[in-house]
Parts: sequence; structure tokens; C-alpha cells
Amino acid sequence: MTEPIIQCTDVHKWFDHFHALRGVDMEVEKGQVVVIFGPSGSGKSTFIRTLNRLEEHQQGTIIVDGIELTNDVRNIAAIRSEIGMVFQSFNLFPHLTVLQNVTLAPIWVRKWPKDKADEVARQLLERVGIPEQADKHPAQLSGGQQQRVAIARALAMQPKIMLFDEPTSALDPEMINEVLLVMTGLARSGITMLVITHEMGFARAVADRMFFFDEGVVVESGSPSDIFDHPKEERTKLFLSQILSH
Amino acid sequence: MGTGELAALGPIQQPPRTSVGLFGWLRKNLFSGWFNGLVTLGVGAALYTVGRSLLVWVFSEANWKVVSSNLEILTWGRYPRDQVWRLAVSLAAIIVLALASWWARRGQRRSRRLILFAWLLSPLGLAVLLRGLILPTPLTVSNHLGYYLFRPELLSLLGVEWRGQVAVLLVGIFGGLGWGAASTRWRVAIGSAGFALLGLLAPYGLLQREFAPGILLPNLVTIVPLLAGAWALGRAVFRSLANAVAIPRLLLPSWLLLLPTLIVLLTNFDVGVERVAPAAILPIVEPAIWSGILLTVVLAAVSILASFPIGVLLALGRRSSLPVVKGFCVLLIEVIRGVPLITILFMAQVMLPLFLPTELTLDRVLRAMAGMTLFTAAYLAEIVRGGLQAIHRQQYEAARALGLNEVLVTGLVVLPQALRTVIPPIMGQFVSIFKDTTLVTIVGLLDLLAVAQSVIKQREFLGLVREVYLFSALIYFVISFTMSRASRRIEGRQGIERLANLAAE
Repeated sequence: MTEPIIQCTDVHKWFDHFHALRGVDMEVEKGQVVVIFGPSGSGKSTFIRTLNRLEEHQQGTIIVDGIELTNDVRNIAAIRSEIGMVFQSFNLFPHLTVLQNVTLAPIWVRKWPKDKADEVARQLLERVGIPEQADKHPAQLSGGQQQRVAIARALAMQPKIMLFDEPTSALDPEMINEVLLVMTGLARSGITMLVITHEMGFARAVADRMFFFDEGVVVESGSPSDIFDHPKEERTKLFLSQILSH
Repeated sequence: MGTGELAALGPIQQPPRTSVGLFGWLRKNLFSGWFNGLVTLGVGAALYTVGRSLLVWVFSEANWKVVSSNLEILTWGRYPRDQVWRLAVSLAAIIVLALASWWARRGQRRSRRLILFAWLLSPLGLAVLLRGLILPTPLTVSNHLGYYLFRPELLSLLGVEWRGQVAVLLVGIFGGLGWGAASTRWRVAIGSAGFALLGLLAPYGLLQREFAPGILLPNLVTIVPLLAGAWALGRAVFRSLANAVAIPRLLLPSWLLLLPTLIVLLTNFDVGVERVAPAAILPIVEPAIWSGILLTVVLAAVSILASFPIGVLLALGRRSSLPVVKGFCVLLIEVIRGVPLITILFMAQVMLPLFLPTELTLDRVLRAMAGMTLFTAAYLAEIVRGGLQAIHRQQYEAARALGLNEVLVTGLVVLPQALRTVIPPIMGQFVSIFKDTTLVTIVGLLDLLAVAQSVIKQREFLGLVREVYLFSALIYFVISFTMSRASRRIEGRQGIERLANLAAE
């Protein structure tokens, strides 16, 4: 067994008086694909946002790639450049072209020369299947294309870990597959991935482990076959029956 | 969907034609009904009556000699006639720069960068052209620096006889420090020796004492051990501090401070001023005598250019999480916005000298510029704050998640978008401050309107009020209108509207 790349122990988070995370423990090994699911408001999104400090946890420890997340700005910067994140609503920068969206962080954070950043960005756009859109603005692309640009943008920093926060739930049905296809390819490339999704077909196909969140705790975790075929907890069974029924 | 299926839907049709020539346009837009037709005729009649009498007056009754013979006064006022070429050169420089940036907008990055650099330097160049340039000698510069470091009061505490020794002491200590830290020790040694020699001789040469070789020897007797002792002290300080402080990094600035210190110690401030005449490259034309259109344009340009960065910083400061920064910005913005511009102009004339060191005197024009700049900056800050609020929190998060630090998040992601959304109100504010320059008349500056009023009082043109006012109104209108046209263009090129249009394509 290898050293875990993400190690969370007893992570707590409050929004004012609302106890959003109530002691989350999770270990993720390098190269694993983890799917996190659960009802809305269960804290799953808050949890993966604590991993790159978009939310601050108030209790417990989070160690990413050997660096503990504290208020030390250098640690936060180091961890953020190791972690790529893809959001539900894409969050591309509308004033920049697709190519500029992808090269922004490599040029300014990694200090790559522009030529190198451009070359890597074009390769990544090729990889997510939209090399011909490089000089357009995000507003000119479809939702699926925008989300694939967002994936390329996150990959451009060559992160060790990718976080996906419901990447397909804002997409029209016919665009979900093109994004899932890119993510499946990515999962097979050996990068560590944490994916919040309710695309259970995707989960069954690529996940190494699954975590079911409810009310700020991990209710149940296991391999996809454990979760789908032999769920132990009543809440898991109930939730799965609700999302798989339609 | 395949092409076969599309074909089944029938051929793609053009939209029906709607335009039917001039008469069609007239009927559709001006005479679409009896009411619209009546309104058109009524407005047309009113325009004709007003326009006709105006045109008749302009072309047959008005005596434009009052404007044409005063054109120079109205344009550059009391700017010396033999220096007016400097205004022409300034104008030409701006036009050349503007043409160059238009020409290079699709050019190579390097040429674009060069032009940007030229733009950034241009305010300095223009200021030099307009105001003039007297090149200070290096000695005057270090004298001024030394003056602010030491003040005469402080220096007079130290007897004249001892200043040479103090200089030698300083050289010794810094030499010793440098010896430990510097990579090229010989340079430090030679430099220190040179300074020491200067310190040795200077009390006799520069303080206008009689120099006699006989004094040198006894002096050497005291100074050489002094130098050696100071040197040893410097070495000792270096050894004890070397691990705690990054001495090499501190060394260069301290040597840079040492030079003016030595000069002040050895010269008592007067060398540069009295013995070397400053080189006048361009004769100074004090801003106090700038007037007419020149003053109006310069006032507006300076307050526009200077207020923009200040306004952006104030807006960012107002959103800062540091209470002191935030409090300062809120206070400044609210106080300035709570006071009329005229009051600010008066305050700038009267109060500003209170805040500045007594040696630094700003003339009236610069004080007015400062007041107008602050006024505009406060309003810009609120406009920019509005733009910042329009940027969704998710944009910050996406930028942070990529590893950008807060400065980069603001500079690369948030500000570019925020400023684009507020281009129209920003340009509106600029046009408004341009027109508000007329208020400086009240604090005694002669802008275009003030000059126009003095022209009206000329005896040979008595009573020709309309011509002069109409002319100045025209000038204000032309410049304001150009600014708002430019604003529309910038909006078109940079604004969010363009992004929205792109989305609609």
C-alpha cells in the first residue's frame, strides 16, 4: 500500500451556526478515482472545497501530498498548484480567449514562457477534443465545450489531483456524455481524481472507491460493487433507489 | 441530424425584405400615422425657426474678429510666445503616439510593448516639455538628499573641525562591513580609500580653509588610526551580524546613503548650489501662468490620468479585509464625495500646504490638479466598486483554485472584467471632470472660460459677448463629444457588450 496523497482526519466546518462537516475522515491513494455522492446539502461540495482551501476547515487535519493545510499562505499556494478544480458552472474567464484561459495560470504561476504555455495548452485542447476553438471566447462555446475547456485549464497546471464539483449537472443532456468521456480518459491516465457526481454509470465504470455523504459525515464507503450491489446502510439504499429509479 | 433529414424540412428561406428605399423609410419612421406626422412637422418647424436665426446670426451678424484676433490668448494664454513651439511638439508627440498605437494594434508584441512603454513615459515627457527642464548637477541632487537626511540644525551641532573625522569614521565602518560581504574586495578597498582621502583633505579644501601641507601630517596621525579602528569595528560588526542579517543586501543602499552623507558632512550643503551652475535645457514656464485652452486641457488630462489608478486603488482598498486600509479608503471616499468640488478646490489651495513639508511648495495650478484628481478618484472608486460587485464570487474561486495569488486574481481576472463593465460611467465621469475644470476660475486660475471673460472686456471688442461665449462653448462641446465618441469606441472594442454579441453569434 502506497502513501495516501490525501489524508483527512476529523474535518469539521461550520457556516455560522450550521455544522456543515461533522468529522469527515478520508484517505485517497495516489492514482485512485474517488466518487463522492449524496443528497444536496450533505456537505460533499464543501468537503472537496476544503481540500484546496476554497473553504477553511475549522477542526481536524487535511494533508495533501505531504503538506498540511494551515493558514500559512505558502502552503495554500503550494497545494492549490497541485490541485486542479472543475466547477459545476465552468467558471471560465469570459474576458479571455479559450487559449488564454488555459495558459493564464501556467504563465503567471508556473512562470512558463508564453510559447511553451501555448504549446501545452493546444495539446490539452486537442486532448479534450476542441483544438479548433482555441481563439474563441468562452461565451461562443456550448456548455459541454466550456466544461472541457475548464478541464484543460485545470490540467494545464499539471496537477497531481483533480477535483470535480458536479461537472455535468449544469449541462444539457446531450452534452453530458462528451464531458464524461473526457473524464473517463483522464481517470485511465492515472491522475488522482475526486469527483462529485450522480452519474452512476460513470461511477461504476471508473471509480476505485465511492463515498456516500449525508448530513456532513461519510455514511458509507467502499468499491462500486460494494456500494451498488451490497449497500450496508439504510440511508445509502434509500438514496440509491431514488437516483437510480428514473 | 443528417443532411437528408434537413432536406426533408424544405429549403432554407431568406427572411422577408423589409426596406423599401428613402420614401419607405420616411413613411415608416416619420409619417406612420397622423399623430406621428403631426409631431414630425411640429418639431421640424421648431428646429427650422431656431436653426435659421442662429445660422443667420453666425454667418451675417456676428463679428468673429473678436475670436480670431484673440485666438492665441484663448488657446495658450500667457504661455511665452517664443516657447509655444513646445506646445506644438507636445501635441505632435501625442498624435504620433496615438497613430503608432493604432498602427501597431495588430502588430508584434514587442512593438506593442514599446508603444505602451512610450505611453507610460509620456506624462513625464510632456510635463518636462510644458514646464521646462533644469538639469540638476549630481552634487545638487546629493545635496538635497543630504539636506533631508540631516537638516542644517543637526549638522551645526557637529563642529566643523570634526566633520572630516566623522566622515573617515563612517567610511572605515562601511568599508569594513563591505570587506566582509562584498565579492570583489579590492573594489571596496579602493573605494573606501578614495572616500577616506576625500575625508582627509576635504575639511581644508572644501570648507575654504587655507590648505597647508604642514597640516596634513599631524592630521594623518589622527586619521590613519581612526580609519583602521573603524575598519576593525566594521569587520567585527559584520562577523557578529553575518548570520542574523542579510548584510550584502543592505550594503548597496547604505553605500548609496553614505555618499550624500559624506558630501553633506564635507561641504555644508553649498557646493552644488553655488559652484556649479545648473544646466537649463528648457527654460521654465511656471504652471502659474498656464492659461486658456492649454490650462483647461492640461487640468483635465492630469486629473483624468492621475485619478484612474488612485480610484482603482481606493475601490480595491474599500473592499480590503484589513480594517485600517478599508477604514482609510471609506473615510477618504465619503469625505470627498460629501463635499462640493468648489470646496475641494478651495481646500486644495488653502489646506494642502499644511500637509506638505515646508520646503515643498506647490503652485496654484498643481494644487488645483491635486484637488480635482482626488475628487475624480473618489467618484471613480465608487464606480469601480460597482464593477467589482458585478463580478461573481465563482470567478475569484476559479482563479484561486488555479493557484493565482490575491494580487494576480485581482489584476488578471477581477479588475479586467470589472473595469469593462463600467467603461461607460467611467468615461462619463471623465467628461464631467473636463467640464468641471471651469470651476478653477474661482480659485484664480485662468482656464478657457476665464480667458474668454477677459477677452469680452477688451475695449475694442466691447459688447461682443455672444461670439466669445459661443466659441468657448463650441470648444468644450468638440472636446466632450470627442471623448464620448472615444468612449463608445472603447466600449465597442473592450466592453461586455462585445462579449454578449460574441455569444449571440
